[in-house]
Amino acid sequence: MRALVSRPALWRLAPWTRAPLLGLRQPAAVLAVLVTSAILACAVASAPLFLSSARSAALQQQLAAECAEAGWGHTGFGVPLLDQNGDPTGLPTPGPADDAALADAWAQVGDRSSPVMLSGTAVVRDAGGVELSLPAAVFYRPGALEQVRWVDRADGSGVALPASYATSAGIDVGDTITMAGRPVPVVGVYTDLFAYQPSAFWCDYRPLYANDASANTPPPALVLATDEAVFFDVAASTNAIVLRREVPLRAADTSVTEATAMVDRQAQAQAAATAATDLPTAAEDPETRLADAIDRAELVESGLRGPVVPVAVAGALLALVLVAAAGSFWADRRATEVRLLAARGVGPVPLAGKAALELGLPALAGAAVGWAGARLLTSGLGPADDLDPAATSAAVVAAVAAFVVGLGAAAAVAGLRARGTAERPLGAAPRWPSQVPWELALLLGAGWCWLLLQTRDAVVSTGGVAQVNGLLVAFPLLAIAGAAMLLGRLLTALLPRLRRWAGRRPPAVFLAVNRLAAARLATATLLVAVTLPVAVLSYTATLTASAEQTLDAKVGVQIGATRALQTLSRFTPTPGIDAVGTFVVRYDGSVAARDGEGDSSGRRDVQVLAVDPADFAGTAFWDDSFADVPLPELMAALTGPTVDGRLPVVAAGVPAGNPDLRVGSTEVPAEVVATARVLPGRRVDAPLVLVAADRLPEIERTAGAARAAEIWTDGPLGPAAEALSAAGGVGFRALEPAGVQQSANFLGITWTFGYLSALAVFVGVIAVGGLLLYLEARSRSRVSGYVMARRLGLGRGAHLRSLLVELGGVAVTGLLLGAVLAGGAVALVYRRLDVDLIRPPTPLLDVPWTALAVSAVVVVVVAGLAALYAQRAADRADPATVLRQDA
Amino acid sequence: MTERVQPSGGLVGSGLVKRYSRGAETVSALAGVDLRVDAGEFVALVGPSGSGKSTLLALLCGWETADEGELRYLGPLGDRRPDTFGWRDLALVPQALGLVTDLSLADNVLLPARLRGTAGSEEPRARALLADFGLAHLADRYPHQASLGEQQRVAVARALLLRPAVLLADEPTAHQDRGHADGLLDAVVEAARGGAAVLIATHDELAWARADRVLSMRDGVVTEGAPS
Repeated sequence: MRALVSRPALWRLAPWTRAPLLGLRQPAAVLAVLVTSAILACAVASAPLFLSSARSAALQQQLAAECAEAGWGHTGFGVPLLDQNGDPTGLPTPGPADDAALADAWAQVGDRSSPVMLSGTAVVRDAGGVELSLPAAVFYRPGALEQVRWVDRADGSGVALPASYATSAGIDVGDTITMAGRPVPVVGVYTDLFAYQPSAFWCDYRPLYANDASANTPPPALVLATDEAVFFDVAASTNAIVLRREVPLRAADTSVTEATAMVDRQAQAQAAATAATDLPTAAEDPETRLADAIDRAELVESGLRGPVVPVAVAGALLALVLVAAAGSFWADRRATEVRLLAARGVGPVPLAGKAALELGLPALAGAAVGWAGARLLTSGLGPADDLDPAATSAAVVAAVAAFVVGLGAAAAVAGLRARGTAERPLGAAPRWPSQVPWELALLLGAGWCWLLLQTRDAVVSTGGVAQVNGLLVAFPLLAIAGAAMLLGRLLTALLPRLRRWAGRRPPAVFLAVNRLAAARLATATLLVAVTLPVAVLSYTATLTASAEQTLDAKVGVQIGATRALQTLSRFTPTPGIDAVGTFVVRYDGSVAARDGEGDSSGRRDVQVLAVDPADFAGTAFWDDSFADVPLPELMAALTGPTVDGRLPVVAAGVPAGNPDLRVGSTEVPAEVVATARVLPGRRVDAPLVLVAADRLPEIERTAGAARAAEIWTDGPLGPAAEALSAAGGVGFRALEPAGVQQSANFLGITWTFGYLSALAVFVGVIAVGGLLLYLEARSRSRVSGYVMARRLGLGRGAHLRSLLVELGGVAVTGLLLGAVLAGGAVALVYRRLDVDLIRPPTPLLDVPWTALAVSAVVVVVVAGLAALYAQRAADRADPATVLRQDA
Repeated sequence: MTERVQPSGGLVGSGLVKRYSRGAETVSALAGVDLRVDAGEFVALVGPSGSGKSTLLALLCGWETADEGELRYLGPLGDRRPDTFGWRDLALVPQALGLVTDLSLADNVLLPARLRGTAGSEEPRARALLADFGLAHLADRYPHQASLGEQQRVAVARALLLRPAVLLADEPTAHQDRGHADGLLDAVVEAARGGAAVLIATHDELAWARADRVLSMRDGVVTEGAPS
């Protein structure tokens, strides 16, 4: 009779109870799991952090393009005191108590505010009681008097007048004028703010002094009050009062969370202030620009989420493969004990449990390192380093999930591999799953995405924010990954044939080829690991550079140069203008339309630019894709001889020949002697015609040509404004890239590809990790073979050369494959990546050769360093020990 | 037919001492070994595990250096250190075999000739050795696709390929059945008859019987004759 013997559970035996400590005896396996877990955690934690970073940056960049006050908290009241007929509205007149209520309300939510006050228009009478033709408005903001250029100034309370206003009315400092029936002393005269580029202090108040829209009724004269008492004294008698309190927020480093908190406090402060005054809710005048910017930033983020989340998942899956490989590496390193346990009937599950216990601590440490790495990388390399607290928490949760899933994968692979190694018969054929070309599924997926893309826009616009269609991200990723794997499989399948060729080569080549051929799966994996990051990085870098160049070109074409000033005033260009840029006069015109394209009179609108051929090409924005000939050559055509008495002109959108050109209503005999696809200065959807200014006949004011003079410059606007003023121009409008192009609208595009680039670099890191695992996993047999081969007559140099051929060969092949795959993907996609379909030019191609060359050098250097690392490990081996250990 | 090997005068060791540190303890793996193996002589070195046999072979091939004593190779090798010997001077079969895992069995056998640039001329002999050792049908397999016994025969074939002047082997028949052990010993004896100085460490009593001389080793000391 068999005795009933109770056997202890496996988990209570030493191999399991001591597992956490046993694992530490294998530093290489510990390091492998730690590093790979860190990579995995970094991959998954980076997505919420990146999205938060992008959201913050979208907010910051929007606010940066506006005046600083756009990002501040504002509360206030705008109270009409008189209606359109001049009758009282019956609303209470805001006074100092209301301003105090606004200040108290901000203080209640913990903010210190400062006032901004503006009156309605006031009739002004000079010292003699004569009413001036232009009314005025009183403005008070602390510090305003320090932000103007004084023409004359005296001490005391009162008001300061703009110089043109005071001069035309003959008012001097010391006079007492009457504003809205209230006498007020004039204590200063300052230079009109529109006459120069005033400091940023005035940025948000430009509509109060500049007539940018050339309205028939210019803004009232901006009269500055020296203090609140003066303001309230005058403003109470005008037709309206605006009282505001503002709280600064540093837009440059604020997150959406902080901005949202500001908007919330603003709402609380506004409500509290309203409750504390007699003013009606309808008079509330809070700021909405910050809230609008937050909404747009969240739109950018939601647009990014579509492509970023799948990309992060793809990166995480790749990293998971690496973690699983680390589990396999553990099985190799613990082969002796694991085989013994397997031979005694221990199944894969307990073996996986043992692996999990041994690898748990390093995996946990790795996840923590990965989270910290993602945090640092996002702060350092992301769009902005201001992250929302919620994103940081989400990243922690993601890192914990990465730890659990990664450890599970490593343990499962370790258990299966350990059991499989012990049971696998010698010389057994490869298992069928390794023979199936699974990568074809990826290629089919890519094809499906491509077909879908044919019927959808590659770039979609939601709420004015351009977003990359997720298919445009999925297609190349799937295609590149599938093609890289398929090519890797096909190329490594040729390696056995290459062995015969290598047999006739020097030992270094012979050994290298045989090493690659002997481990075809590892070679194919390594090849794909090099090809993927190279291809994805090349693809994303090229598309990012192309999208940015295209965007710059669209802005450049729109403005005409880097920046421009436009004025409706007439003056003669001066050498000062020539020194800062080029002078252009813009007219509305028309040409005879081709069949069906014109209006009822058979004509089509054009814009005519009268330019100076001598210096236009030096300043105007140009890309060689705009025309078949360079811009200087087009300019030379403008100075050529007349054609049958007609002026030579250059056009985009008008065919060569006689266009029957009219500038306004003035007929200008012209001949299109050269054409371009795109010309700089195109601001409306109409053809553009360039003509030499000195050959263009005088265009009378009555011609209805909407004449506008412009200075185009590549430098700052300040000198251009000075030159324009010096030439006699007044009331200009500035055209700058930030104003022309709502840059935030396109952030989603560049960040999508930026994130893909980060993925490519990340895959590169995975590849390096994989390379090290590859070297480590094979180091024992490599060192053993090397030690013996040295004895057989292999020189150290020949061995190092063999390593360089082996690893360098894979690296160079991967580089070439990656470049070819990226080139194909770019060729298929870049024309569809038009971030702004309305404005020319169509997408330009810009290959960032320097970045790609650096990537190639990095790949080759990494391969070289890996070869040196492997050589060093072999050199340090003690032959007597190595050749005794394996027995 | 016995083939001529490289000229050798054999080897002489006297008073060879090798010590290892194992923590605070010092272990004498060789405690004053005297031995001589002449050219054309097949000597079997027998002794229990841990007696110092592998250490002695490592010292004789130049992977270890003696702490005390003198090791001299005779004849043409006399003026060189053993760690400078080529495979034609001294070939060995280490305990771990040292096969290059990325090369096929045939390429492993031929590797010494390939590294000398004589692969073409030595290929027939490599093929013959593979056939003699019953490995011809496994020529294209990798070591991990062969049994340990088969790998061991490949290691011996590789050692014999260039007809070395000195042949050292550590347990060359340990994983062989009787038939294959005989084949290996035939080849070793043939090498000795061709002029090689052959020293094999072995537990195999059949090898003792085939050897010209037997040396016993225990506790780091070598004595003449088989153990009792």
